[in-house]
Amino acid sequence: MGGGEEAAKRQRWMEEAFRMAKEALGNGEVPVGCLMVYNNTVLGQGRNEVNETKNATRHAEMVAVDQVLAWCRQNCKNPVEVFEQTVLYVTVEPCIMCAGALRLLKIPLVVYGCQNERFGGCGSVLNIAADDLLGTGTSFECIAGYRAEEAVEMLKTFYKQENPNAPKSKARKKDSDES
Amino acid sequence: MKEHMPPSQEDEGSPAEPKCKRRRSSESCSWDILPVLSEEESQRITLLQAYAAPVLSKKETSRLVREVSAVHSLKSLQHLKRVRACKDRGSPHPLEMLLCLALAKEKGHVPSLSELLPEGQVNSCGLGQPFLVLVPSCPPLTRPQFQEASAHWPTSFHENKEVTKALTGQQFSREEKARMQRYMEQAIEVAQQGAERGNEAVGAVFVDPATEEVLAMGHDCRKSNNPLLHATMVCIDLVAHRQGGGAYNFDSYPSCSFVASVKGNSGTGAADLFDDAGSSVLPYICTGYDLYITREPCIMCAMALVHSRIQRVFYGTPSPDGALGTRYKIHTQKDLNHHFQVFRGILEEQCQQLREKWH
Ligand SMILES: [Zn+2]
Ligand SMILES: [Zn+2]
Repeated sequence: MGGGEEAAKRQRWMEEAFRMAKEALGNGEVPVGCLMVYNNTVLGQGRNEVNETKNATRHAEMVAVDQVLAWCRQNCKNPVEVFEQTVLYVTVEPCIMCAGALRLLKIPLVVYGCQNERFGGCGSVLNIAADDLLGTGTSFECIAGYRAEEAVEMLKTFYKQENPNAPKSKARKKDSDES
Repeated sequence: MKEHMPPSQEDEGSPAEPKCKRRRSSESCSWDILPVLSEEESQRITLLQAYAAPVLSKKETSRLVREVSAVHSLKSLQHLKRVRACKDRGSPHPLEMLLCLALAKEKGHVPSLSELLPEGQVNSCGLGQPFLVLVPSCPPLTRPQFQEASAHWPTSFHENKEVTKALTGQQFSREEKARMQRYMEQAIEVAQQGAERGNEAVGAVFVDPATEEVLAMGHDCRKSNNPLLHATMVCIDLVAHRQGGGAYNFDSYPSCSFVASVKGNSGTGAADLFDDAGSSVLPYICTGYDLYITREPCIMCAMALVHSRIQRVFYGTPSPDGALGTRYKIHTQKDLNHHFQVFRGILEEQCQQLREKWH
């Protein structure tokens, strides 16, 4: 298997996720980037699409999931089997909603950068990833902390710049105690 | 579920019950609406050990309160009254006074006045022998908690009238309940339509309570090969479609529908609410809306409702992994930036049957 090789691969996928997050930041979007990797192939990648779709649930992870589903349709693959062998690489800890979605899809492993202090579903606010929920898919494993400081810095930069879509007072208030 | 049951609404057969007087139809009375309260509101009160002493001479009371309070301020226990009247008429003293908290669990041994009150600071003349009492550790939030707390030691109570009304089943008028029933009936109908096409039998309806308008209705669409298209996610996206957005195509499910926004893409009332300084806040399009759903949402859907800034959720029947009362109470979760009200029990029996029929 070769743990070193595995780690190097992981590193490459995470670098790609960070590249996407930076791109999002450059375009005034929430700087979260993610990849869904199956058999060494990127089947889905996502960035936040809340504004375009006017749907507050269109987080990067949900967008990537739809791409994987589309790939499954095109390639006549069973999505259940594909997701069970897919790893998610994401710059920020998935929120509670996305963690719920990842459970329902039975994704086994999530590699992420920094904690999500506001909404995190892998330990920060709740631990949906690990909780005992028999009717909600399966729990999943997390590897956290890859370039965490950089991911936090990007989020901070984003929340400091004008974000017309955040309810103002709350976004600011929370921001200041996130240091 | 640990909600307090409304005390009087349960016994419908009682002739003294005026609730069903005007309507003979048993249907309109066959469900009760229960608020799903936060952990703090629904739990029983916890008690602490404290020392109190009888006030032997009533006219010393105010001086004693002043002096004892200066030594033992009970800062974290502001809800406790310092002095209580002794209701027991046979009691030789009319009042009892709270002195301080007991530090460790004391068994039997109760310190003397001079051990509890430093001589130089309190003139304990007028107080009798200290004794151990149990006092509520937190301020009561609901009337049932207040009643329980007061039985131990008198507490102040800043009553939340809305919660009290909800707990006694008086929060909603007959007309409102009739409307709620209609919305839930629509949710049940759309659930059936979805189930007939192989989906889980779950239906949901978004309502703008300000206009009483049904904005969107949808059912579970997992059969469309997307395991995440639970009824709530479908409905949130239909509301987005209503605003000219949306991420999914529901053409193959005609029962999943929305009412086009009259004012076009951006002018709905809900969006306007936040529209100070002329900025657009369109992603939060569920602001001010109510969701009626046949069964309690899962964790993904419950958090999707937080992100969408829902105002209230009404569900029929609980779910084993439900996140609005059963396993989590996302709507009251500390640290999250949006909270909302949740009620359960609307047409509970019918919603439960829905699940059994299509399982
Ligand atoms: Zn998310
Ligand atoms: Zn759900």
